[in-house]
Amino acid sequence: MIELVNVRKVFNAGRPAEFTALSGVNLSIESNKVTVLIGPSGSGKTTLLSIIGCMSRPTAGRVQLAGREITSLPERFLTDIRRKTFGFIFQQHNLIKGITALENVMLPAYPLGERHVPLKQRAMKLMEDLHLSDKAESKVEWLSGGEAQRVGIVRALINNPSTIIADEPTAHLDTQLSHRFLGIVKRFKEERKTVLITTHDPLVYDDPVIDRIIRLRDGRLEVERR
Amino acid sequence: MREWIEKQKYIIDFTLSSLLRRKAKNIGLLALYTLIVFILASVMFFTHAIKKEASLILDQSPEMIVQKLVAGRQDLVPLRFVETVRGIRGVQAVRGRLWGYYFDPRFGANYTLLVPPPTAQTGAAGNGSRRVMVEGEPDRNAEGSAGPLFDLGADEIGVGSVVIGSGVARVREAGTGELMLFRAYDGEILPFRIKKILPSSSQLVSSDLILIDEADFKRLFGIADGLVTDLAVTVRNPTELSTIASKITRRLPDARPIIRDEILRTYDSIFNWRGGMMIVILSSAVLAFVIFAWDKASGLSAGERREIGILKAIGWESSDIILMKFWDGAVVSLTAFLSGVILAYGHVFFTDSVVFEPALKGWSTLYPRFKLIPFVSAEQVTTLFFLTVVPYSVATIVPAWRAATIDPDSAMRYTGE
Ligand SMILES: Nc1ncnc2c1ncn2[C@@H]1O[C@H](COP(=O)(O)OP(=O)(O)OP(=O)(O)O)[C@@H](O)[C@H]1O
Ligand SMILES: [Mg+2]
Repeated sequence: MIELVNVRKVFNAGRPAEFTALSGVNLSIESNKVTVLIGPSGSGKTTLLSIIGCMSRPTAGRVQLAGREITSLPERFLTDIRRKTFGFIFQQHNLIKGITALENVMLPAYPLGERHVPLKQRAMKLMEDLHLSDKAESKVEWLSGGEAQRVGIVRALINNPSTIIADEPTAHLDTQLSHRFLGIVKRFKEERKTVLITTHDPLVYDDPVIDRIIRLRDGRLEVERR
Repeated sequence: MREWIEKQKYIIDFTLSSLLRRKAKNIGLLALYTLIVFILASVMFFTHAIKKEASLILDQSPEMIVQKLVAGRQDLVPLRFVETVRGIRGVQAVRGRLWGYYFDPRFGANYTLLVPPPTAQTGAAGNGSRRVMVEGEPDRNAEGSAGPLFDLGADEIGVGSVVIGSGVARVREAGTGELMLFRAYDGEILPFRIKKILPSSSQLVSSDLILIDEADFKRLFGIADGLVTDLAVTVRNPTELSTIASKITRRLPDARPIIRDEILRTYDSIFNWRGGMMIVILSSAVLAFVIFAWDKASGLSAGERREIGILKAIGWESSDIILMKFWDGAVVSLTAFLSGVILAYGHVFFTDSVVFEPALKGWSTLYPRFKLIPFVSAEQVTTLFFLTVVPYSVATIVPAWRAATIDPDSAMRYTGE
């Protein structure tokens, strides 16, 4: 359960370019559900995701994770929560070039200092699940768009997070690949993970796997539809 | 603890592969860095080795030398000076020395001709001369305090023969047993047989040396009996040196006493002048280096910033990023440092500083190819380390720290390749 209380985010506070991206968001996101954030461009979806995912702090308000207040924690704890609780899937797959798909997948686990052999086994297993076994040793720049995105998904799963956060995951995918992605989301749900997605794509928010749709406009929540 | 080690391993691993990914840039960087270390190290090894040799020469020279001046010009010293000086209280021993420079127009080289003292060192104060110490190779320890390997006595040379330094042998392409011709003061050509060539361990000391018998020396230069080049004086108490010097000038107004410490100072200023030139090179190299390090360091490319953003977004902490940058710097610095130092060592001690040759041309005709004794102290290496690795590290810390504080959510806002 993730709870946001009166969360505000102001960029460039006190400067001429001051901009309020979120103004007083109250929201609770249930565990083990698939929640979708929709809203026009610039409405603050990405900003909200990065606050929930402990990537940035709100200007005001509180964020609680499983009943624990996290907004005031020092960076080290935030990072620790981030890497253990959240797996991120980015719109641009954000893989690191020049190294193999497998290394990319294992990167989030490096700072945890786990033994190499079990880590690699787990990575290979996850890659196999997404039909990437034969691409493990490929450099990421050789991968197709869909493969690259799946590598990004595996990377998000490597530390076995309880919550998956995906920002516009289907923006670069065709219909078929988008359907495949939704299939993966369905599996997450079956594995009792919490999933949070932002999207513009009706294909995503009209899919039956979605439990709840949250609408954002000008940094505020709109009345919920479902 | 085990996790900590694993973590370092992963991060070093990733750092190395990151370095390889930017191969062109990093090889260029490494090459430049190595070159700078190489220049600095060469300069340092070279000046230190030369100073070392100089101090070896001076360690062997007497505490005080007495010359005779005639109208301000150095002249031969009559043996009666010996008695007078010996009569001064505090003087332990006085020896007359016979030596002189000889210019060989055919080879354009200057030799130092020297009559070694008789092996019976104590007596023969009347016509004794400068003792020759030849440095031995094997015993040279890090302190470089090896004593003379052997003393060459005058009786070992014999009339009609000479013992020559290796520089002389090289310039004249002469070998043992061959004849060497000298033009005496009166124009007569005197042949001498080369009896021996001095070992070349310490060439700066003995390179231009020619050891010759007393009678031959006097014949060559036309020196009458009862005259020597100068006097070597030893005293009982070194603190009395200046008192004794002034007593000498009072009793012998023509005499000019020279105290070793004064020579030392002169030598020092010569070498420091060389050192001074080197300092200019040194400081400009350091400066270039700092600028280069700063430039390299402050310019985090967009690609690198993006990568750091991604790493932070997927769960790397600021300290992990700093750790990565630290290993990055450590790998580059240490590689460059080690290869630069090793190259410089080879350059100075095995290739005779070929790179510096143009700068050393003025040294002496005999010296352009002299070999220095390998001498490197921990202190030098440490100084070098602090001159190179530390500025580089400092220059990379700031951007590393800045990079580490890149917001993780920057990875979410990245648009387009
Ligand atoms: N670092 C920042 N500095 C200033 N303004 C920012 C910053 N980040 C975001 N904004 C602004 O905040 C607003 C919300 O941005 P956000 O990325 O959350 O929108 P979004 O809903 O994700 O839009 P899209 O659907 O186009 O991705 C935008 O107007 C954006 O310009
Ligand atoms: Mg967005």
